[in-house]
Amino acid sequence: MTGLYARWAIMIGGILLLATMTFQQYQRDLSTISLATVLNSPATTEPVRIQGMVKSGTLSGAVEQGQATFELIDGPTTLAVEYAGPPLENIRELKTIVLLGHLDHETKTFKAKDTALISNFGFVAAAYVIAVLSLGWAIFAMSQRVMVLFKEIKEEKLYEPEIDPLANKE
Amino acid sequence: MLNRFIRYIQRYKGWFGGGAAICIFLGLYTGLLASPPDYYQGELVRIMYVHVPLAHTSTLAYSVLFFGSIWYLWKRDPLVDNMCQASAGICALFTALALITGSIWAKPTWNTWWTWDPRLVSFSVLLLILGGYLMLRKLVDDPERGGRYAAILAIVGGIDLPIIKFSVEWWRTLHQPMSFSTRGVAISDDILVPLTLMSLGAWLLFAYMVMVRTQILYLTDLLQAKKGRLLSQTHFSQTSP
Repeated sequence: MTGLYARWAIMIGGILLLATMTFQQYQRDLSTISLATVLNSPATTEPVRIQGMVKSGTLSGAVEQGQATFELIDGPTTLAVEYAGPPLENIRELKTIVLLGHLDHETKTFKAKDTALISNFGFVAAAYVIAVLSLGWAIFAMSQRVMVLFKEIKEEKLYEPEIDPLANKE
Repeated sequence: MLNRFIRYIQRYKGWFGGGAAICIFLGLYTGLLASPPDYYQGELVRIMYVHVPLAHTSTLAYSVLFFGSIWYLWKRDPLVDNMCQASAGICALFTALALITGSIWAKPTWNTWWTWDPRLVSFSVLLLILGGYLMLRKLVDDPERGGRYAAILAIVGGIDLPIIKFSVEWWRTLHQPMSFSTRGVAISDDILVPLTLMSLGAWLLFAYMVMVRTQILYLTDLLQAKKGRLLSQTHFSQTSP
């Protein structure tokens, strides 16, 4: 049994390492912060990623040329956005988008220079967790069952040569 | 012949398990960390690296069950029957997981968890056939008769395999068309590497799981037979004058 548990400890360690690295990558490249957090954060020009919905009736400018102004809503918070970057292909009012840029604290305007797709990483994580846990559990249960069966056979001494009862009787 | 092959390949079970672990670990690394997001789907494309190998492996598993059942009906080899039973259980697990991960992928891309799409329906039918197979084996008292009935069901159910495969070409469907066909490979290299690693890992994992499960069924039969023999022996010694 020790060998079985040692093998599984190594595999679980490897999976946990991958999960940690994935989480770090998610935090670095994909996670967004709320509009309220951006508004309350100290002044910085470090780019941040925010997610919100384009407020109806506020979108104006040359969207196809990559110049636009609009307001972004996230719950009760609204933030004015000035976008200047690559042409916006799929932007429209009432659409939820992810913007990259920084907040101009003087004008309280978010200066966006790029957009990104909504990561939906929860779905990705759910698919991987369900698949890996289910398969892992199934394999572990089967490996353990084999060990138990071997142990049972050994303990019951079922491999001992059987004595023919008829031969004994004689 | 198949009996000898099963016994022979059991010796290399550990290699299959080790190979599967390495391929899946590399596949997870490249799929989650090294490969880029898709232009249209973004990060969601990563679900493909787990969903597609599961779906491919479940059809492979059913193929093993299908041909194993034909062999069993022909030769009546109990070890082949054990292998079929093992394949069916593992195939059911892979099919269920492929449907669940597919559903998780469908929600953000199709905006629904489920739709009556030909590929989805034919794949669900596969799960129902496998459920029927496993129930038949449990419900019929005589294991030999149960195995025979289940083998017939598995062979008849084999009609679902080409339907699954060609459903995306025969009917109008939301599901994406075949990526591997005689027309070539319609996947970029960035995606192909993790997908190949995960697929290879899933196939090796299936082979490993079938070997372990076949071993469990064999050992359980052996234990029961030996116990039965010992019990009858005890009974004989107690009742004899």
